[in-house]
Amino acid sequence: MEKQRKPKNIFVEGPISPEKIAQSIANHSSKTDIGGHSIFLGQVRADEKEGGKVRAIAYSAYEEMALEKAFEIREEIFAKYPLTCMHIYHSLGEVKVGEICLFVFTSSKHRKAAIESCEELVERIKKELPVWGQELVDNEKAVWKENQ
Amino acid sequence: MGSVEHKFKVLAFGMIAEKLKTSELELEGIPSTEVLKGYLFQQYPEIKDTKFSISVNRKQVKGDSPIPNEAEVALLPPFSGG
Repeated sequence: MEKQRKPKNIFVEGPISPEKIAQSIANHSSKTDIGGHSIFLGQVRADEKEGGKVRAIAYSAYEEMALEKAFEIREEIFAKYPLTCMHIYHSLGEVKVGEICLFVFTSSKHRKAAIESCEELVERIKKELPVWGQELVDNEKAVWKENQ
Repeated sequence: MGSVEHKFKVLAFGMIAEKLKTSELELEGIPSTEVLKGYLFQQYPEIKDTKFSISVNRKQVKGDSPIPNEAEVALLPPFSGG
């Protein structure tokens, strides 16, 4: 049966917990046609900025547009690679250094599809989703981030 | 009354919202994105040197694009998710 895919919410308030990630892996144990998973985790880095170290990033998004875009990317990646599963989670609000702000998870029968699609997803998410991170520095200063 | 109203909403995000000191504007009678930019630069000169792109009804547009009645326009500084 062809699975109908609908736009899903990708946003999580605050950091993505390691428990959520573990649970997400565990949820796939019943899908026995999967032979490989690929996971990318984005973690907030304590960059040195003028006036101090980054202590957290505050994320905001144009949520409706981001969800539409994420759905579009999702459909394109599913069409391009033979994937069994794909999950995307992105934080909103404040995420402290060392915490996880992005979780991308792909699964396929054989490893290559999972690995390559995961990388492509991460690149497209960073480039195409209307999401903004504001780096909060020690001394209460805030700097708008820009992706490289 | 009498004339056809052309109203739309402008959403601002990130650094642009900070500089406009608001995240939402209600505007009318501006036919296209280039005219909108001209209006914004005049009203808010502080955004002149800030990089941003524009979306109309949640689709990013390139160059001058018409703004339909009741549109949802957004001012999008460079993305920095992930």
